[in-house]
Amino acid sequence: MCLKCETCKASSDWYDISNHDIVGFSYLLEQLINNINKNLFNQGCKRFFAILTLNSNVPHEGIRLAHTDVKIPDFSDYRRNEVIDPKKSSQESSDSRRAFSYLLTGASTVVGVYMAKTVVTQFVSSMSASADVLALSKIEIKLSDIPEGKNMTFKWRGKPLFVRHRTEKEIATEVAVNIAELRDPQHDKDRVINPRWVIVLGVCTHLGCVPIANAGDFGGYYCPCHGSHYDASGRIRKGPAPLNLEVPYYEFPDDDTVIVG
Amino acid sequence: MAASVCRVGSTVGRALAKSRSPILLSLRRGQASVSYAQSLLGAPETRLTALDNGLRVASEETGHATCTVGLWISAGSRYESEKNNGAGFFLEHMAFKGTKNRPQTELEQQVESMGAHLSAYTSREHTAYYMKTLAQDLPKEVSFEAEIEQQRGVVLRELEEVENNLQDVCLDMLHATAFQGTPLGNSVLGPSDNARTLTRQDLVDYVNSHYKAPRIVLAAAGGVNHDELVTLAKSHFSGVSFEYEGDAIPVLSPCRFTGSEVRMRDDGLPLAHIAIAVEGAGAASPDIVPLMVANSIIGSYDLTYGGGKHLSSRLARLAVEEKLCHSFQAFHSSYSDTGLMGIYFVTDKERIEDMMHWSQNAWMNLCTTVTESDVARGKNALKASLVGQLNGTTPICDDIGRHILNYGRRIPLAEWDARIDAVTPRMVRDICTKYIYDKCPAVAAVGPIEQLPDYNRMRSAMYWLRF
Repeated sequence: MCLKCETCKASSDWYDISNHDIVGFSYLLEQLINNINKNLFNQGCKRFFAILTLNSNVPHEGIRLAHTDVKIPDFSDYRRNEVIDPKKSSQESSDSRRAFSYLLTGASTVVGVYMAKTVVTQFVSSMSASADVLALSKIEIKLSDIPEGKNMTFKWRGKPLFVRHRTEKEIATEVAVNIAELRDPQHDKDRVINPRWVIVLGVCTHLGCVPIANAGDFGGYYCPCHGSHYDASGRIRKGPAPLNLEVPYYEFPDDDTVIVG
Repeated sequence: MAASVCRVGSTVGRALAKSRSPILLSLRRGQASVSYAQSLLGAPETRLTALDNGLRVASEETGHATCTVGLWISAGSRYESEKNNGAGFFLEHMAFKGTKNRPQTELEQQVESMGAHLSAYTSREHTAYYMKTLAQDLPKEVSFEAEIEQQRGVVLRELEEVENNLQDVCLDMLHATAFQGTPLGNSVLGPSDNARTLTRQDLVDYVNSHYKAPRIVLAAAGGVNHDELVTLAKSHFSGVSFEYEGDAIPVLSPCRFTGSEVRMRDDGLPLAHIAIAVEGAGAASPDIVPLMVANSIIGSYDLTYGGGKHLSSRLARLAVEEKLCHSFQAFHSSYSDTGLMGIYFVTDKERIEDMMHWSQNAWMNLCTTVTESDVARGKNALKASLVGQLNGTTPICDDIGRHILNYGRRIPLAEWDARIDAVTPRMVRDICTKYIYDKCPAVAAVGPIEQLPDYNRMRSAMYWLRF
């Protein structure tokens, strides 16, 4: 191995490394470099620049310890109790250790899946109707506020809602109507739960205008836009509208209130 | 005319073969002189005698003109501690260096003039010193009076040399990690520190605590006469002690196997050497034969095999077709109560993942879908290799020595044959499942091993979700 200082061009002699029985290239390099530096200094080179060109057969300059010097670390801190003793075969406990690991994994998976499901449902359900919208979806009406014969209009789901307190005469009239004559045949009892109260959507089935209450030829509603006449049950009797006024879902939690929607 | 000559020739040949004369056997060139079954039954018996001090003498008279004789001792790196790990190996280097009565040069001259070969090996559980020679007078005792300092340098040099043999490095690291914390994890060579600091006293202590008569077998094979051998043994080895100091008989405790991995990455090396193994069966376990058959089914391969894509082992076929590796072999190292069963392969740095996948796939096939034809092929290959290994006095002598130490008797080929015949595919599947399926493997890898999968992936490949 021949070395030459780049700066002052002082060169050193051959160094014999064959007598070293050290296993480990880094120690060798260290020795070599110490020797180089000593020699270069003696020759007057002030800058200790040495370029090492290794003529080795091996195309790399790796460092490997003797494999028998490599110590496998002691992992006792991480071992399970059954395998801490190196003098005991690990075969006997292997089934129980494996069962424990699989049980833990299985349980964690189930919990994890459930957690994932919850998170996903929460995100997806955030796209459904918000609370204020849902709140608008039902309307609670106090019936005692509506006198007999009167029709009250409420805003419900963005549409007008007619709540009509019918008189006995009106009820009798509507019940007696011959269904065969109707454009959209429906018996009155099919359109009301309690005959005293008619609850319909105030949207004309022709082109969507709002009919006027207590108007028209049949004692019900009259749509001024195109002249549709509805009766006291909200059924179409005359005019261009094809269907009866829509009856929404409603229920009477008690005699004085109705919840629509 | 030619046919009748052949017939006469074959009858004559058969008659001559029965007389077992080696020269005349050549008349039967081209035809087997004895059938396999006949040869099994006709194998000479191994005779075993024990001396008063417990030392056993075993020999097989095979009719060869040469013989191998040696001492097989139940001592090895498994009996060493951290402090004296490497003592056995050191000792091996001190052997054949002369005795008090005969200095080294004289011993060497005697041996050389006989044209003999002296040899020794140390393994984890056995140590052997033997000599191959003409069937003549055998050497006397082995001595350890030699110059220890001289041998120190030799041992260190050998440590350096062995680093170039990456197969040994890889398999040593495999043992170190698989049996970590136990004596089986110790390498036979010992750490370099010990090579520098072991003293004569350490070696003497080692000999005194392990080289005891009940643990020594004097084995011989070839043109030896058993009675002559026993007489020789009595005269030279009666003095070997059988008592331990302080009655401290070293008892081998079981060695814990740890599923683990060790990676010695060095991207400068051209090829990656990788070994993956599970805990196998001990030498005396009844499962050993099915496991050996299973290994024969996987077989071995290297680039020099000419079979190409017609090789019968599935993994070998894949290795050729997909260029998976340079070589692989399925191995089973068995010790007295445990073992390591695995696959070792040498491959390019871009093919490690694929080779590992297919190796573990081969294991899974053994556990689940191994067929009648696979097992038949494996059995035949195993029988052939067992017989083929005993192709000289030295392998036979080694076989005798190791068997006596492991089993207390020599297991004849006929018995191996019977045990191999008893293996069925169901047995292979069950036993492979017991040792391989869903077990934590030990993995050792040396070289440019970046592509080696994470341990968790290799562990997951030890089972199939479809079962």
